[in-house]
Amino acid sequence: MKKLLCCFALSLSQLALAEKTLQLFNWNDYIAPATVERFEAQCQCKVVQDYYSSTEEMMAKLLAGAADYDVVIPTQNAVEALIAQNFLQPLDKAKLSNISNMAAGFMNKSYDPGNTYSVPYAFTTTLIGYNETRFKELGIQADNWSVIFDPAVLEKLKGKVTVMDDSEELMAAAMLYLGYTINDTDEKHLKAAQQAILTAKPYWAAFNSSSYIKELTVGNIWVAHGYSSDMFQARADAIDAGRDFSINFALPVQGAVLALDNMVIPNKARDTELAHQFINFMMAPENAAELTNEIGTGNPNGAARAFIQPEILAIAAIFPDTQQQQKLETIAARTAKQRRFQNRLWTEIKVR
Amino acid sequence: MALPPAAYLVVFFAIPSAMMLFASFRYPGEYGGLAPWYYLEGGEFSLDLTLENWLRLFESDIYLNLLLKSLSYALVTTAICVIMAYPVALTIARSHKRYRDLLLLLVILPFWSNFLVRIYAWMIIFSPQGALTLGLNHLRELLGMEPTRLMFSGTAVITCLVYVHLPFMILPLYANLEKHDPSLLDAAQDLGASRSQRFWKITWPLSLPGVFAGAVLVFIPSLGIFAIPDLLGGTNGIMIGNVIKQQFVEARDWPFGSVLSLVLTAFTLALIGLAAKLGQPRRNTDSTSPKGKANAA
Amino acid sequence: MRRNYWLVSATLAVYLFLYLPLMVVVLFSFNDSKLNAEWVGFTLTWYEKLFNNREMLRAAANSLVIAVISALLASILGTLAGIALHRFRQKWLSALVLGPVAMPDILIGVSLLLMFILFNFTLGTSSIILAHVSFCIGFVALAVQARMAGMDDSLIEAARDLGATPWQSFRLITLPALTPGIIAGAMMAFTLSIDDFVITFFTAGVGSKTLPLEIYSMVKIAVTPEVNAVSSLLMLLTLILISAIARLSPQVLRS
Repeated sequence: MKKLLCCFALSLSQLALAEKTLQLFNWNDYIAPATVERFEAQCQCKVVQDYYSSTEEMMAKLLAGAADYDVVIPTQNAVEALIAQNFLQPLDKAKLSNISNMAAGFMNKSYDPGNTYSVPYAFTTTLIGYNETRFKELGIQADNWSVIFDPAVLEKLKGKVTVMDDSEELMAAAMLYLGYTINDTDEKHLKAAQQAILTAKPYWAAFNSSSYIKELTVGNIWVAHGYSSDMFQARADAIDAGRDFSINFALPVQGAVLALDNMVIPNKARDTELAHQFINFMMAPENAAELTNEIGTGNPNGAARAFIQPEILAIAAIFPDTQQQQKLETIAARTAKQRRFQNRLWTEIKVR
Repeated sequence: MALPPAAYLVVFFAIPSAMMLFASFRYPGEYGGLAPWYYLEGGEFSLDLTLENWLRLFESDIYLNLLLKSLSYALVTTAICVIMAYPVALTIARSHKRYRDLLLLLVILPFWSNFLVRIYAWMIIFSPQGALTLGLNHLRELLGMEPTRLMFSGTAVITCLVYVHLPFMILPLYANLEKHDPSLLDAAQDLGASRSQRFWKITWPLSLPGVFAGAVLVFIPSLGIFAIPDLLGGTNGIMIGNVIKQQFVEARDWPFGSVLSLVLTAFTLALIGLAAKLGQPRRNTDSTSPKGKANAA
Repeated sequence: MRRNYWLVSATLAVYLFLYLPLMVVVLFSFNDSKLNAEWVGFTLTWYEKLFNNREMLRAAANSLVIAVISALLASILGTLAGIALHRFRQKWLSALVLGPVAMPDILIGVSLLLMFILFNFTLGTSSIILAHVSFCIGFVALAVQARMAGMDDSLIEAARDLGATPWQSFRLITLPALTPGIIAGAMMAFTLSIDDFVITFFTAGVGSKTLPLEIYSMVKIAVTPEVNAVSSLLMLLTLILISAIARLSPQVLRS
């Protein structure tokens, strides 16, 4: 008991003494705790994290006034939207010496020419995580979006499926299932995608973008629609917990969404100096590599490859080869009109 | 004397409500929020307001269904609360004065635990790997039925709604029952009425104002709730509160969110008005006059 | 009254229904397992982890600060409102003061968010406090009004007859008589503020997370028994607070 009271008093006093803080707004489970600790030791500061589990959630929070985070990690289409809103401040390249480590293939993209406002952080694919043992029992192939949308397959998986609570991601998956591209703006195609979702919805347990790792690991859910990095962690968690089943993940043959996440600094950031320090820190090869080794993300940092565990480099879903890259697309930024149409479809999906 | 609080509430309650009304006629902003309501181009002042957010309500039947579903959840919750609250309120009202405060405290105590904790407790109980679900499915197998899932269902939502609102029903009901005159029941018993006759013809009618008060305290909050369906409802347990939250957070369609909020507000006000009218004490329920007895029976 | 066994057992069942879920939460806070599924062994690790969880402690500190300030402001404004309600009995005042109490939380949260954004008011701790005060005023006012209703007005008349000014009679007679009601109302405001989720959800800003918001994101994202631990501690806190309120003013609990 005394130990607890001492801990309590100590932590309260720590709070009182902490001066510099970095307010980080990041996807959940998207940075290794060890990395955070190392940065805190280096900068003599505290890192305070807020999390989001969908781009919509992040945009809503930022644009609804919670704008003074120091560093945010948005996906490329969100970066484009934030730039258009004059929300970000240009990066001071003089403070980012490590920027030379980044692989050329990921720099100077159309969403931010010259990387004025952003530098790449990590990339993930959105795919299917599944309970390998159960799938073997049921004889289902996991690398196909039909696992989530086809009623014939869903019959065997009723109540054991979660999909992302994210309109862009789920609509994209449905479009791929129907054979369209994810940036297809034909309203008829989008309505067909909505219909596919509504047909499958009764078989799903829930819309879940945040705790599906745990649900998969515990065995409540056998199929989850989610990010490659999360599935990587789920697989590791299941092994750690000594489960009698194994988790695996697969890129569907119809294609998948590729998301390139970036580090940006909002205009209203409280500590720009510290923000730059953090961004530079994350571009150092060991720190960038830790992201892949611990979290299982794809890595746009060329110099980091030397530090990444080879078995992870070999995973196609995390580091897709050129052939698979053909089938991966990034979500484009939407116009206001497209967004409103998609929102209405999404509200209808949720309400029916 | 009334000025400071009145001023505060005008600024932080009346004005926001008015702004919401205004917002319902505007277009959503490019990336969220609201679009400007007027444009000043070259000296020309043009209004940019629209009725389309309101018209959207009637475009398809889904919003009506949503409202009906939310109303039905709230109704079922209220009904179950009445059934569960009555025995407790009756027992407390009839128990010795010494124990009443203690019994009341025991009722209130769980209510004062954090709202989310109470939801979380039910997430544990309903968890698919938890004892309740496993036990239930075992039973269903024995009876030849298919296994079911308690979590992420309407059942889970209603159970939790009942749990969270039960004290709101017990307290007003108790307040009413406490005032009942026990000699009425004694007289009825002397005249040969059975227990169930005594209840249905005397206790129940007299308790109706208390039932109504409690029903209002349960029904109205239940309508607007979103955390419970969000955590326990799964794909189908969505209520109007969730859709409102969704418009303001994920969809960033504030005008439409305002429209839905105003619909909910209108309903709430109507219900409060109705309850205020019905809850007024009946005239002449004084048990000594013949008219009063007739009114109470 | 004859003992009605059916009645007693039904009552007992309902009490059990009320307490069982909470007992499960407390029980599993001591469970030596990451899952809230079955009992493995006794441990205090979750409480230890809790005290080392900076985000949680920060949120707790925020909640406390917000609750204290909100309770203070709400007490002052609510007392004035309560007295005014008792004296003037205006319908519009009633509607204004009790409106936030009667309306579903989500409507208040959403409308305040709208207003804050449209006035370019940066969300943060202050926006939460302003929001909390608006719905706490009603509760304090109710408590004070109930107390005033039970007060003997002739005391004030007597004081006035003896030459006291309105301010003096207020300060020396009304206020002391109202004090238990005010304190009870203040404690209720404090508890409501600490407990509030929905309104805080919409009006919180960067770095101003409160405990319920922290619990919500923990429940959504990474449910470990730390949530059980913080819940149990919260329950203990409210138990202490409620006992204090009950001691001071039992009628308040019934309103």
